[in-house]
Amino acid sequence: MTKFVIRRVLQAIPVLFGITIVVYGILLAAPGGPTAKFANNPRITDDMREKFKQAWGLDQPIPIQYCRWMGFCNPETQGTFLGSLPVPAAFIGPKGLPNFLPEALSGSTNGVLHGDFGYSINSGEKVSDRIVRAALPTFILAGVALVVWLSIAIVLGVYAAIHRYSLFDNAATVFSYVGFAMPTFWLGIMLIFIFAGTLHWLPASGMTDTRSSPPFGSDKYWAYFGGSPLAAIGDIGRHLILPVVTLVVVNIAGDSRFVRASMLESLGQDYVRTAKAKGLPARVVNFKHALRNALLPVITNIGLEIPFLFTGAIVTETIFSWPGIGKLTIDATREFDYPILMGVLLVTSVLVVFANLLADIAYGVADPRIKY
Amino acid sequence: MTQNVEGAGQPAAEVIDPDPTAAEDYEVGLKSLNQWQLAWRKFRKHKLALIGLAMIAILLGVAIIGPVLLPFSFTDIPKPDELVSAGRAPAIGRPMGETGGLQRDVFTLVVNGARTSLLIGFSSMAIGVLIGTFVGAIAGFTGGIVDNLLMRFVDVMLSLPTLFVILVASKFLGNGTVATVIVIFGLFSWMGVARLVRSLFLSIREREFVEAAVAVGVRDRRIIFRHILPNAFSPIVVVASLLVAGNIISEAFVSFLGFGVDPTSPTWGNILSGGLQFITQGNWWWPLFPGLAIIVTVLAVNFVGDGLRDAFDPRSRG
Amino acid sequence: MTETSTVRPGVGAPPPDDILVDVRNLRTYFKVMDGTVPAVDNISFSLGRGQTLGIVGESGSGKSVTALTIMRLLDIPPAEIGKESEIWFDGKEVLSMPEREMRHLRGNEMAMIFQEPLTSLNPVFTVGDQIAEQVKLHMKVREKEARDRAVEMLRLVGIPSPERRAKQYPHELSGGMRQRVMIGMALSCEPKLLIADEPTTALDVTVQAQILELLKAIQERTGAALLLITHDLGVVAEMVDHVIVMYAGQVVEQGTVEEVLVEPRMPYTMGLIESIPTVEKRGGRLSAIQGVVPSPFHLPPACRFEPRCPYRWETCRQVPPELYPAGSSGRVARCHLHLAEASARREAAIAQHQQNLTVGRRLTGAPDRIGNA
Repeated sequence: MTKFVIRRVLQAIPVLFGITIVVYGILLAAPGGPTAKFANNPRITDDMREKFKQAWGLDQPIPIQYCRWMGFCNPETQGTFLGSLPVPAAFIGPKGLPNFLPEALSGSTNGVLHGDFGYSINSGEKVSDRIVRAALPTFILAGVALVVWLSIAIVLGVYAAIHRYSLFDNAATVFSYVGFAMPTFWLGIMLIFIFAGTLHWLPASGMTDTRSSPPFGSDKYWAYFGGSPLAAIGDIGRHLILPVVTLVVVNIAGDSRFVRASMLESLGQDYVRTAKAKGLPARVVNFKHALRNALLPVITNIGLEIPFLFTGAIVTETIFSWPGIGKLTIDATREFDYPILMGVLLVTSVLVVFANLLADIAYGVADPRIKY
Repeated sequence: MTQNVEGAGQPAAEVIDPDPTAAEDYEVGLKSLNQWQLAWRKFRKHKLALIGLAMIAILLGVAIIGPVLLPFSFTDIPKPDELVSAGRAPAIGRPMGETGGLQRDVFTLVVNGARTSLLIGFSSMAIGVLIGTFVGAIAGFTGGIVDNLLMRFVDVMLSLPTLFVILVASKFLGNGTVATVIVIFGLFSWMGVARLVRSLFLSIREREFVEAAVAVGVRDRRIIFRHILPNAFSPIVVVASLLVAGNIISEAFVSFLGFGVDPTSPTWGNILSGGLQFITQGNWWWPLFPGLAIIVTVLAVNFVGDGLRDAFDPRSRG
Repeated sequence: MTETSTVRPGVGAPPPDDILVDVRNLRTYFKVMDGTVPAVDNISFSLGRGQTLGIVGESGSGKSVTALTIMRLLDIPPAEIGKESEIWFDGKEVLSMPEREMRHLRGNEMAMIFQEPLTSLNPVFTVGDQIAEQVKLHMKVREKEARDRAVEMLRLVGIPSPERRAKQYPHELSGGMRQRVMIGMALSCEPKLLIADEPTTALDVTVQAQILELLKAIQERTGAALLLITHDLGVVAEMVDHVIVMYAGQVVEQGTVEEVLVEPRMPYTMGLIESIPTVEKRGGRLSAIQGVVPSPFHLPPACRFEPRCPYRWETCRQVPPELYPAGSSGRVARCHLHLAEASARREAAIAQHQQNLTVGRRLTGAPDRIGNA
């Protein structure tokens, strides 16, 4: 098992490297070059600009830039090798150990590997701080959505498979066809129109009620949250309903079909007949013998669908003004704030790689036939 | 041997009656059909797929003829007989109502949007399928280090949330023309096809008829195009239908955010985008109808995709 | 398709106590899109306590469906069972039993072994768990005792180091080992009836003999009645006392195993026996029954074997044959050759059959050599 996990992690490393290269390519592809945005921004102090330039080595050849951005090279060590490559000494950090090691060992703090993604061009804020601030709302939204999505999809799919061709099954089929064809953002707009605009049952945007609570995430907010946690959670809950519904409908539509098909396949297997022949009640046959096998492909599928949570978050957060990663991305794209863009892309891609890794490991645990 | 390897992928049902005189009345003789006839027979029985096909035909008709009958120009400002800032609701003569502000006819917009949205959906699918098949075929046929490198690249591309990348690419490269949007969508939608084609190649390469072709010394290129690709065709078609649906929805979203086709030419996403600001004034029909158009299109494409999958599935009977 | 069978016993009353299974007028059909498929068409037979009965036939003859109907393992719909059908098991009528009561029988009083030991075991549970689950359910014992019983069963079916094997998953075991597990599972609650549906078909030839020996030994030891379903006449010769031959959903011949194999009285059975390849036939032409099994949608109107029968005449196309008495008591055959007026044809057919083979004598003379000849 441990060997299997180690092997899978090692396999993920080249992919993670590939991601950093593609993401760095975005910086280079930016129209007008990476510094074009810096020229006349009053919010960027000279100090910051210098720090940015040096940390990113923007006056250096591209391999050195990338090396410093990643945190493999020490920005203090100058010089080139063969015209455009970093000199070997550049890989050594201030404390004499390889630069990419954690700060405590190497003494260096630069680059992605040390959590340094640079500064936002527009606000001057550290990218890592900005992403961390936006991550919490997204994790709340995505987490709740994931739980709702999976539980409903599995229940729907299993029930439809057990009662195949029943009225319920047919209704579920219609729902899944239409739900799967529905553009997420359009559903969001229509929900806002019905439940917020017309019926006034639910809030149309934001994460908290701005009249009664301070902005989410600020120090004041946490003080308010500590004062009346139930009211605060209820407030977020009310704001969550429409975005979560918007986010999960497509996924439930698709996955309930998938679970149904997998469950039907499983129900048709010989071991289900054996279980019946043993005299087990239908409940045990369906939910122990059939479901356990039917969920195996679902695990892999969940891993593959994790990216859609982030993609879906862009859509949903934009429509509902949810202050998360998705909204951050759209704003950063609009304003060419590529340090933020690169940071977001890098973090989400790495999360996707780890989600797939987790799904693989979960599959390995759940299916005894997988050899490690 | 090489003669009969071509069609060996999907053996057609066939019953050979060893003694015709003994069994004249009782045996059901199945005609020998090739792969395509067999698939078409099964597809025809799939009611939803036929409905989907009809819907796609109608939509294509609307996309081709519609803009001729109901021309649209961004610079033509309509002169309504009654000024209502939120636009007027659907009624006879304006089946989908009017937009807010300029009070354009939503029906005209949706009809004109059909042309762009379908063009983008199908063309970008074609680019994606071409690239994906090419990459997947090379990886699957060559194997070894080439395969490894290409597939790691696919892994990287699949790990990046596609919509993020498309947004950024549209922002950097986009000039709002339909052609650019098609290319961008094509460039970022081939990875799934590549993975599929590779796995198909890996499994078909091991099949007896390919081994036979290799054994008699058929050239690589001929093996790829004449022996393997035709057998990989049906799953690719199914994935292609999913790609059309996905790209139509994504295009709508990217345009909705203002990163897609420039707002002077209508796509369903652009129309929707405009509708958002007037919804608080009670104008629900403006965003409703382009959205319904998307749903109907995607439904139709998915119906056809389902029909194709069943038709090509050797396990299902026609 | 309606006909009266000569072996049809009195309706509605339980059979005598020494009869464990009594199947009466069993009719099982499948409702499918294109119509109704009669898989089992009015068959009747009985099986005494501790006795062995073989059902022989080609695939599609309805033998497996018969077994699944007795266990009530068919999904209804698409399957349907004729209203006049009765299945008596241990003094109780099974078809009219509530599902709860039926569940108590399954795995407990009647157990079944399937053809594919790999797919018939659940891949995600250990074999020990799968046996213990059944023991816990029917014997109302605790986890620990159930596990011990599982290990004991594995030992009984000849699996080496059963404690270790009990903790393994099905894919870690060989095919023969898996079938031993299936047999151990089926016998774990000491059933009165064991149904084995092609128990050796999916196994290697060398393993087949071992599994058959095990089945026979365990059957004799536990005193369970055995209903063996197979297409292999060699297996039948080795394993059972009585045999039923099925063709296209009907019983076509019935008798003791010696009678049916040595003196077949139905052209289909004759053909089956003639088609066994033997050393004596080397170099000669292998005889096979002409034609194919008729499609269940287009059954011949009268005798279902008529289109393939070498001895057919006009009557066979016009009148559906019944099960006629053929020889000793309990011996029946569904063939017009047994009509009094066809005695000349009968003698000719039997003579022809004798000429076609030397196999029959070998079957009874040295049954264990025929198994995989």
